[in-house]
Amino acid sequence: MFGKWTAIAKESIDRAAIVARFLCLLHVTNTYIFSPTLVYGPSMLPTLNLTGDVVLSEYISHRLGKVGPGDVVLIQSPENPRKMITKRVVAMEGEVVSFLVDPSRSDRSRTVVVPKGHVWIQGDNIYASNDSRNFGPIPYGLIQGKVWCRVWPIDGFGSL
Amino acid sequence: MSFISSPKFPQFDGDSPATNTSISYKVQLLETKMSLFQQWAFIVKEALDKSFLVAKFFCAVHVTNTYLCSTALVQGPSMLPTFNLTNEIVLLERISTRNGKAGPGDVVILQSPENPRKFVTKRIIGMEGDNITYIVDPKNSDRTETIIVPKGHVWVQGDNIYNSYDSRNFGPVPYGLLQGKVFWRIWPAGAFGSIGRRPETVDPALKVVEQ
Repeated sequence: MFGKWTAIAKESIDRAAIVARFLCLLHVTNTYIFSPTLVYGPSMLPTLNLTGDVVLSEYISHRLGKVGPGDVVLIQSPENPRKMITKRVVAMEGEVVSFLVDPSRSDRSRTVVVPKGHVWIQGDNIYASNDSRNFGPIPYGLIQGKVWCRVWPIDGFGSL
Repeated sequence: MSFISSPKFPQFDGDSPATNTSISYKVQLLETKMSLFQQWAFIVKEALDKSFLVAKFFCAVHVTNTYLCSTALVQGPSMLPTFNLTNEIVLLERISTRNGKAGPGDVVILQSPENPRKFVTKRIIGMEGDNITYIVDPKNSDRTETIIVPKGHVWVQGDNIYNSYDSRNFGPVPYGLLQGKVFWRIWPAGAFGSIGRRPETVDPALKVVEQ
């Protein structure tokens, strides 16, 4: 009878090992290769929806230094390290950025040179976006991934 | 597995070859070809199994290094006398920085905000909201400045403020750039031991000699 229990235990351990290996593979793919991500909020209208889009984001380009102006990226917020935000890279280090400080209230614009090792990010919806115009250029190291294409909703399917 | 004793190899008995009909000879030759392929398939399978074992070991090492504890080589003059000028090997743990438990006094390794491929070792002096008063350029003047650390940022300085490129130069660093907290030194062996929350006043390697 004891033998039956050990057989059951052994089989459950084997099954659990298979599940664990699958989860490991899923985790590695999600962290280092690509993963689906839910993005929501008004700051990237009209590119991304207010109520939420599922996009595929890849995690290889930023490690190779291939992120450039025009890319939509996922970054760790410099104001709250537990929050991930989605914005577009407007300028890389050394470039000059002219931006509207507060477009819903005035026409005032400022010009800034992006310091070494930093990037300037802005949301596509400059009227409702908390981005580099508020917290300044962010270090390149905070970029976590690059958004590749949208997979949901279906009618918005395609690369961004 | 022995090639010679495998029964699938053609065994010509002592009789004259004429006793083996041509059909059975061809069948035996066919079986030989299949068994060679099987040998080769067996070798490939063994090689794959061994490489999976190696891959699993590397996975475990990588997971430990990224999420638990890892080693690092530190060098440079900016953390004297805590860390020597030449290479020292330290252990860093990655749980505190992920949980937000890294605080003032901790020696941390962070991605440099000026070069994302470079990692620097500094001590956290202040967290978000703290008032920091620092000497801007101690070699040349006594001028100090005071700054409040913005939300989500930390202020890091090297222990050797005369020769350290830190937050006094590149400003407060976003918390997300912290990689891990240094808690133990493993090389040089004479200075083996924990890294405290205050800068060392004497070179730790000399402490052993001085008794």
